[in-house]
Amino acid sequence: MKNLLRVNMADLSVTAEPVPDAWAKYGGRALTDAIVYHEVSADTDPLGPGNKLVFAPGTLGGTSAPNGGRLSVGAKSPLTGGIKESNSGGQAAHALARVGLSAVVVEGVPTDKNARYLLVIEADRSARLQRVDDWAGLGNYEVVDKIAALRPEGDKYATLSIGPAGEALAKASGIAISDPKGYPNRFAGRGGLGAVMGSKGLKGLVVSYAGTSSLEHADKEAFSAASKRFSKALKEHPVSGTALPMYGTNVLTNILSEAGGLPTRNFSSGTFESADAIGGETQRDTILARGGDVSHGCLSGCVIQCSRYWVDKDGTYVTKGPEYETAWSFGADCGIGDLDEIAALDRACGDFGLDTIEMGATMGVYMDSGALEFGDAAGALAALKAGLDANDPLRVLWDGAEATGKKFGVTRIPVTKHQALPAYDPRSVQGIGVTYATTPMGADHTAGYTITANILGVGGTVDPFKTEGQAALSKNLQIATGMLDSLGLCIFVAFPVLDIPEAFTAIHEMVAAHTGDKWGADELMQLGREVLTMERLYNQQAGFTAADDRLPAFFYEDKLPPHNVVFTVSDEDLDSVFDFVDETAAQMGLH
Amino acid sequence: MTIHLALFAYLSQYQPDGKGGCQARPIDIADGATVGALIAPLGLPDGPRVVFVNGRHAAADQPLSDGDRLAIFPQIAGG
Repeated sequence: MKNLLRVNMADLSVTAEPVPDAWAKYGGRALTDAIVYHEVSADTDPLGPGNKLVFAPGTLGGTSAPNGGRLSVGAKSPLTGGIKESNSGGQAAHALARVGLSAVVVEGVPTDKNARYLLVIEADRSARLQRVDDWAGLGNYEVVDKIAALRPEGDKYATLSIGPAGEALAKASGIAISDPKGYPNRFAGRGGLGAVMGSKGLKGLVVSYAGTSSLEHADKEAFSAASKRFSKALKEHPVSGTALPMYGTNVLTNILSEAGGLPTRNFSSGTFESADAIGGETQRDTILARGGDVSHGCLSGCVIQCSRYWVDKDGTYVTKGPEYETAWSFGADCGIGDLDEIAALDRACGDFGLDTIEMGATMGVYMDSGALEFGDAAGALAALKAGLDANDPLRVLWDGAEATGKKFGVTRIPVTKHQALPAYDPRSVQGIGVTYATTPMGADHTAGYTITANILGVGGTVDPFKTEGQAALSKNLQIATGMLDSLGLCIFVAFPVLDIPEAFTAIHEMVAAHTGDKWGADELMQLGREVLTMERLYNQQAGFTAADDRLPAFFYEDKLPPHNVVFTVSDEDLDSVFDFVDETAAQMGLH
Repeated sequence: MTIHLALFAYLSQYQPDGKGGCQARPIDIADGATVGALIAPLGLPDGPRVVFVNGRHAAADQPLSDGDRLAIFPQIAGG
């Protein structure tokens, strides 16, 4: 039996109910989308009582499927004004799935705005709200210490929490999720979901999975066989088997700078002269020299092991990674060429509960205003901390790049659907521009990661400077990603899946063997289309039009050095990406 | 002619001077040599690579010109 846990913050009730039959085949992003689509009116105030915050493991969550423990967090976004699924690693998805929960749905807002609550879910699935008013204002690292003090000896649990940014309803706030060692360093970062949690007075969740084991399968032998083939493909592919475990995600800094696609100093150049100083190779050498850990999984069951901990000169833990996106956002985009300085900014964001992509891009915009010099890391850290005071004029930075750019009169504001662009310039990587422009999420590289074929030679090649083939590339990757996010698979499995046909086959064999339902390639792709269809329809109801599926004007007008290129994909091509939505909506009985 | 060769990730140990690191080194080679001709003697391990000449993807048969920057990566990805 699959169960939803409904948590009502108005009357403080917690009730379990079966997942409706209509959603039985949905997990992860598909399930958060379905709940938001059907239960949250598109004109709802994202920070009001009508919004719902949904946490859902994917279909393979709680199993031993390699890299199958990703968490989807869904709501109407206070940043974009559209539907949001923010995806994270960490232990929470496995924990929820193992206690038999397909989703936790947090509804309503408390009558007492000063109240803070911790949702406690025990391994027997009993759940309660505990009042923790004196945790108000605490950073994520202190919150996990407070939770640890409440738990019995020998307990195993995952935490989800917000820092002061979420409590302050900041639009750049995210939700921290604990990693296997308990550090709150994995994030459902994008789209301001920390503020949705803050609006509900929910400071944290703890999910115990002590004494639980991997979920049972409909066909244990078939699952085991498919899972082994999948794991073998992940280990054999040069990206997931060698490069990612060795260097982590930040292996990308040097290659994007080489290709002229590393947005530098608020998207004014595509190369950064200090790329190597902040790249994955330097990162690995530095961590090893300081005696740190350069390869582990951010969740149990990961066979790629691309995570690492940044340690200070004394070898003491500072923060995760930093991941590529953060090394870029606070590094190249702010003109900062030092990993210790970037790690300090990453740690501050992690503790305050801010999305490092949005905040780094925001800092780049703020620097572009002339208020702070590019490269001034100490000034950036001070500006970041200023938001702790609700009355400080720099508190606007916590609301993201667009709000900051408007306040400080910056004309070059890199956002689509009000969300900051990540670490690839769409002028020298045209395919990712299609994804940024069209994804229902607002600018998001993970929604359709065309860097694969555009730059990295994974899954074929599509010339990054030409317009031909970019819309189809983005469309197919967006569909595939909708599917992977619903199954709970890490999107890094896409690298071997794009190159090794057996890896794709192993996915539908695992899903079929686990659920006992018919799953093949067609069903997987249909799942991806259904995800995107719910998201597109929701955004249409929220008022989005084709005009929202465009990049900011400067990408079409300002030539990006060193290749001196602009974004040239036509509006017609952009509008072709979601040509399947009407047909899929009819198949789903949606309007 | 002189080509500026940069090798990245675990390929950097194959720099002819044996010193590793991602910074470019000057390499002298016959005029008109191709990308493939410069790569061949480096002894790089088998496997897919991503090759750039002056920041643009390049195939093995592309001729090089004096002063070009040649950058070679193993197949990598992240995000």
